[in-house]
Amino acid sequence: MVSISPLPEKIPGIQKAIAVLWPSFATAIVATGIFFSAFHPKDLVPFNLDIDVSPLAAYSIGFFLFWLLGIVSSYATMYFIISNCQVLNKQQGQFTK
Amino acid sequence: MQSQKTNTGEQGLYAEHKKIYPREVSGYFTRLRMLSVVVLLGIYYLMPFVRWDDRQALLFDLPARKFYIFGLTLWPQDFIYLAALLIMAGLSLFFFTALLGRVWCGYACPQTVWTEAYLWMERKIEGNRGRRMKLDKAPTSAAKIRIKALKHTVWIIFSLWTGFTFVGYFTPIYELGGRLFTGDLGPWETFWILFYSFATYGNAGFMREQVCKYMCPYARFQSAMFDSDTLIVAYHPERGEPRGSRRRGTDFEAQGLGACIDCNLCVQVCPTGIDIRDGLQYECIACSACIDACDEIMDKMSYPRGLIKYTTENAAEGKGQHILRPRVMVYATILLVLFGLLVSNLVLRIPLELDVIRDRNTLYRETRDGLIENVYTLKILNMDEQPHRYILRAEGIDGLKLVTDREEISVEASSVYEMVVRLQADEFNLEQRSVPVSFHLQATDANHLSIIEEARFLGPGKT
Repeated sequence: MVSISPLPEKIPGIQKAIAVLWPSFATAIVATGIFFSAFHPKDLVPFNLDIDVSPLAAYSIGFFLFWLLGIVSSYATMYFIISNCQVLNKQQGQFTK
Repeated sequence: MQSQKTNTGEQGLYAEHKKIYPREVSGYFTRLRMLSVVVLLGIYYLMPFVRWDDRQALLFDLPARKFYIFGLTLWPQDFIYLAALLIMAGLSLFFFTALLGRVWCGYACPQTVWTEAYLWMERKIEGNRGRRMKLDKAPTSAAKIRIKALKHTVWIIFSLWTGFTFVGYFTPIYELGGRLFTGDLGPWETFWILFYSFATYGNAGFMREQVCKYMCPYARFQSAMFDSDTLIVAYHPERGEPRGSRRRGTDFEAQGLGACIDCNLCVQVCPTGIDIRDGLQYECIACSACIDACDEIMDKMSYPRGLIKYTTENAAEGKGQHILRPRVMVYATILLVLFGLLVSNLVLRIPLELDVIRDRNTLYRETRDGLIENVYTLKILNMDEQPHRYILRAEGIDGLKLVTDREEISVEASSVYEMVVRLQADEFNLEQRSVPVSFHLQATDANHLSIIEEARFLGPGKT
C-alpha cells in the first residue's frame, strides 16, 4: 500500500494559498510579457469601441486576467490532487483498520 | 547531493510556521554578506537615477513599448534578446550552483537581501534576539505597542520607497517623483507602487524564510545541479561528535567529547531555523551565518576553526577538490556560446525595420497609361537613437516603377514613419497573377542601415 503522508488536510491554508497564487503570478508575468510584445493594446479593443485606455492600464488589466487564469488552473490542480489524496487516505484507512 | 534530508522535526514541510528569531552574528562571511546586501540594494535604489544621453540609463518604458538599457534601445521586435538574457541568467544560476552551491540564495537573492535589511531595522528598533523574543511574549502594553508601531512605520516607509523605485524602472523616475509631490500619480502607477511595497513588506518582514521553503522553485530543484564537488556549508561530525558542554581549557578528548560544545549558536543564528549538524538540508540557504558563529566559539575555546565550514562532499571525505568537472564545463560552454551569440547579434543588429502591407481593398488597378498598379502601406521603424534619411527602391519586375511623393524619407530617432507607395508595372512583364517584388530601404547617411522586405505584386496574369 502506498502510504500518503502527511494528510493533505493538514497543509496549512497559507501554504495552499501560496501554491495557488504564486505559480500563477509568476506565469502571468511571463505571459503578459510575451502577449504584449506581440500585440499592441490599442489593437485589442473589440468591436471598434471607443475606449480610451492608457497602455499602463491595459498591461495591468492584461496581467490580472492572466493571473486569474493561472489561479483557476492552479486551484483546479490543487483541488484534484488534494481530493485524490483524501480518497486514497480513506481507502488506506479502511485497509489498515 | 542525492541524500538531502528533509527536516522532519517541528519545522517540517507541512508543519505550522514558528517564528524564527535569527541571532545577530559577526565574522568574515557576515561582512561579505552585508557588503553584498549594501552593494545590491545600492544598485537597486540608485540605478533609476543614473542618466544616459538625456534619458534614464535603465528604463523599461512600457507605455512607449521601448526598453532602454544604457546605449541600447530594444523594441517589441527585439523580444528575443530579452529572452536570451533571461536564459543566460538561468544558465548562470546553474553554473554558479554547480560550482559554489547556493551562493545565490545566501548572498544575492532579493529575498535574502531585503530580509537582511528588514532584520537590520528590526534589530535596531526591537533589540537583539533575546529582547525580540521577550517582547513578542510580553503582554500588550503601551511600550510594546510603541516599539511595534515604530518598527512597522519604518518598514512601511522603506517599503514605499522600494515600491516607488520599482515603478521608477518602468516610468521615468524624475517625472514620477514630480507627480508624486504634486499628487498627480496615475491610478495604475499608484497601484503598482503599493503592490510592490506590500509585497516587499510581506516577504521581507513576515514571510522571510518561508518564501525560500514554500515559494522558491529554485530551492526545490537546486539539488539537481549539485554533485559531490559542489561547495556546501557543512558540519564536521567526526570532529564534533559526541557534542557536549565542558569547561574551558579541559581535555575534552579525555572526557570522551568531540569539538562541538553544543552551545546551539549555529541554530540560533540560522535565518531558516535549521540545525546544520543534522546534515545538508534543503532549507539551508548557505548564508554561512553558522560558520561565523561557530568559528567565534572555536576561537574562544582555543580550538581550531572550521568545525562548520565551506567544503565539498569529496573534500570532507578526503577525496580532494575538483573545480573543473564535466558538469561545470558543460554549463560554462553553453553560457559562453550563448553570450557570444547574443553579443554578436547585438553588435550586428540593424536598428531598422520595414513592414510592407499590401492594400487589401483592391487587388490591383489599371492606370491611365495602361500600367498595372498595386498600393502598399509601408511602416519604417527607425530603432536607432539618431534620425536618419532613407532612399526607397523596388525590384522584381522588369520596368517596375515606384511612385512616391518624396525622394528621400526622413524618420525621427526611435520612431515609426508610415507612408503609402504605389508600384506600377507593364502587364506584359507579369508572368503570373502574383509576382514577388522586394522593397529596398537604404539610409543615405549610414551605409550599414539597409533592409530588404519581400512583398507580392498582383496582376491579371498572362491570358
